[in-house]
Amino acid sequence: MVTTPCANPLRRGLIEDRTGDPCAVVIFGASGDLTRRKLLPAIYNLALSRSLPSGFAVVGVARRAKTAAQFSAEMKEGVAQFSRRKPIDPALWTDFERGLGYVQGSFDDPSTYKKLSAHLDELDNERGTRKNRLYYLAVPPSEFATIVANLKQAELVADPIAERSGGPWTRIIIEKPFGHDLESSRQLNDCIASAFAETQVFRIDHYLGKETVQNLLVFRFANSLFEPIWSREHVDNVQITVAEEIGVEGRGKFFEQTGVTKDIVENHLLQLLSLTAMEPPISLSADAVRDEKVKVLRSLRRMEPTMIRENVVRGQYGRGFIKGEEVLAYREEPDIAKDSKVETYVAMKVLVDNWRWGGVPFYIRAGKRLPRKVTEIAIQFKQVPHSLFAAPDGGISPNVLTVRVQPDEGIALRFTTKEPGNATILRDVAMDFRYGSAFGSNTPEAYERLLLDAIRGDATLFTRRDEVEEQWAFIDPVIEAWRGQASAPPGYPAGTWGPEQADDLLARDGRRWRRP
Amino acid sequence: MSSVTTMPGAPESGGKASNLITRIENELRELWKPPEDPTAPPLSRVCTMNIEVVAPTKELLERYTPVIDEVTASIPARAILASIEPDSAAEEVTGSATVVCSLAGGKKICSERISLGFHGNASARAASAIEAFLVPEIPTALVWLGRVHTDDPVFEDLARNTSRIILDSEYTSISSVIHVAAWARSQRHAPEISDLAWTRIAAWQELLARFFDDAETRPLASKITRIVLKQAGETGARIGPESALMLGWIGTRLGWKTSRLAGALRFKREDGAAVTIELDAVPRPKGVAPHTLAALMIEAGDDPHAPALRGSIERELASGLTDQANTTPDADVIDWKCTRAGGAEIEQRIRLGPNKAAKWLERTLHRPLRDVAFAESVAFAEHIVEDGLTVS
Repeated sequence: MVTTPCANPLRRGLIEDRTGDPCAVVIFGASGDLTRRKLLPAIYNLALSRSLPSGFAVVGVARRAKTAAQFSAEMKEGVAQFSRRKPIDPALWTDFERGLGYVQGSFDDPSTYKKLSAHLDELDNERGTRKNRLYYLAVPPSEFATIVANLKQAELVADPIAERSGGPWTRIIIEKPFGHDLESSRQLNDCIASAFAETQVFRIDHYLGKETVQNLLVFRFANSLFEPIWSREHVDNVQITVAEEIGVEGRGKFFEQTGVTKDIVENHLLQLLSLTAMEPPISLSADAVRDEKVKVLRSLRRMEPTMIRENVVRGQYGRGFIKGEEVLAYREEPDIAKDSKVETYVAMKVLVDNWRWGGVPFYIRAGKRLPRKVTEIAIQFKQVPHSLFAAPDGGISPNVLTVRVQPDEGIALRFTTKEPGNATILRDVAMDFRYGSAFGSNTPEAYERLLLDAIRGDATLFTRRDEVEEQWAFIDPVIEAWRGQASAPPGYPAGTWGPEQADDLLARDGRRWRRP
Repeated sequence: MSSVTTMPGAPESGGKASNLITRIENELRELWKPPEDPTAPPLSRVCTMNIEVVAPTKELLERYTPVIDEVTASIPARAILASIEPDSAAEEVTGSATVVCSLAGGKKICSERISLGFHGNASARAASAIEAFLVPEIPTALVWLGRVHTDDPVFEDLARNTSRIILDSEYTSISSVIHVAAWARSQRHAPEISDLAWTRIAAWQELLARFFDDAETRPLASKITRIVLKQAGETGARIGPESALMLGWIGTRLGWKTSRLAGALRFKREDGAAVTIELDAVPRPKGVAPHTLAALMIEAGDDPHAPALRGSIERELASGLTDQANTTPDADVIDWKCTRAGGAEIEQRIRLGPNKAAKWLERTLHRPLRDVAFAESVAFAEHIVEDGLTVS
């Protein structure tokens, strides 16, 4: 249920015209790192910003035996270390702590859910949480089915029809990966759907909580300047880069199962692509926005084996240097097979077969151990049809609009100008807008925004089932084609922008990658 | 953001206004030259708006300068600060330029501060000199310190070319805000009016709205029977702008009407039932501004003697940290309580935003330009102030 704006007459005209209903947030996997590093600091910051509803509580559920006081002390330590606003406010923490609880038990033991149910009933009375529940599954996907089935069995899931008529609500947040291929993603979705209606499911992709990603909609649809040229008529190509300096960082076992394509491309990168390419939605309602995104995903030209050979390049990093320090090759990292064929880099030429983008290549790439951490969307416009200027380099650089998602979130527009002087010498300059400089750097973390949206029932920045399945439907053939290949991915030295074959991918089209 | 550092240009000097403008522009160019020391951290010049600040005395302007420096550390802007002293014996314009930097992510983010002083007859040319420094194509906010008169040509000229005029009804009056708003409406490109007192009560509005967020309590918003407001100060004092604006906001959101009985002000709900309004005083701790809103209690329901909902929002005045000047720039704590008939009491402790002039101005600049609720609430509040609701 999306809370209706303005239903409360005193909310009319307030800057914050939406408020979350009172609720209890139940975190499964509360002993894990995600809870300590991200979730509790995010919830605490929401409390600091006065964004939490008046009746509110957090319940941790995990296997480890600990008292509520121990759980609270651990969370306090986590908030002290990882909150963006420090130090902890003692007056506020005392109140916040009163709403923290812990239920110990195994996820497959029905008695855990009985204890949880009794605890939530107590909170309804003592904290005024009004039987509204937000479950956060901060656990591996292998646990999802067990938890979901037990929640249903214990009658801890509200009837979605009753929700729509103002009854208590239940929502569930799940973290990626949403399956490991189309089939498993369908199974996972079916399993969740056995207990929760799609309107109750919030699939989190923390990229969508980033300020610049949200700003993409504002930039495109609140400015009259860009949308008319946002099409095949004016755009030559689009390049989307998700680059990381880091290697697998202790996640070797996980990464051997996924590779960068499933870890980054299938979710974050295709989400960025769909936001870039989507048509204007009829409204900003969750379904209107997601309808447009899913249309883009359905328009992606499916990869046939020949196309995969021509349009997809994978790579695996070898030894090299990052910021002057020598780093190990992928196969030398802990928990990585010595003959691993897992890709740490992928680049693709993707075509969006629709009226707006027909013929415009979207070059997307993601990789580990690249020279710098950067995520950006670069719209490269077409060359001028005729050059009046005898530029020394033989031509005029095309305009490029770059949306930097991280770091240094912002938007830059490259254009050509004349250097001062008697001669007509052309030079590229950039109009550069940076969030940190213009609005200060203390913007909310992605998890803050996303948790608050889930509490409010706004699913716009969460991924819908059909989006996830379309993403897998696009990626599956690529993964399948690689599965049959005997050879390992081409190597690239750590600290470079990927294998040479990735440059060839664009060179064949007479283009080249940007160096972000 | 780290603390603010400044790089002053040439010391303040006087002369003809046009020469002064040229000199200050040259100074700014000098200040933005790349540093000769190649190891010096690069400066990033950022400007997202013009902020004009006008004060009646140099002393007041100097007191307000650190406030503006703090604001431009988070909202990079060109700040043009001007004192206008028409009664001064001298007839001159003085001025200087300074670059004000704060460190963000290892980079120095810098704004420009131009300080001007207009003395004697030169005061009449203040608006044209100030406007010469405006950066084009970005919004301009005019912060007017002190009393405001809409027939003052300097105010009129500056206000006409701004997107937002910022006043503080605590220091002018609600009536002044109304007059400025009426003047603005008569202009072809009307600037929007903002009041720092309105920003200060924003958190109170949100906290009051919370009582009626729940589907069960929502209908009780139209059944408020009693409101008690408490403000810092003495018994017998008049209602302060924060309390008056708060009442104005509640009244306009809920469709209340005011009427008089034997000269005394009465409040009636949309359904015609009376609402009791009480205004009390609480002791004003040192460093707390007079009339600061300290508490708000409400009762709602069908039976005034057995309310279905009781709510209170109580600010622990000066509960924030106290600095050396004995003021409390840190945020105060608020206790929010809600009791429903037959239900448990829900309680929350909430920290207000930092209680600093710079933060109020910063938040005001972040608010949407057009605020219909403000215009309506001010008009309603004016009745309350005119009728002289006093602290019992």
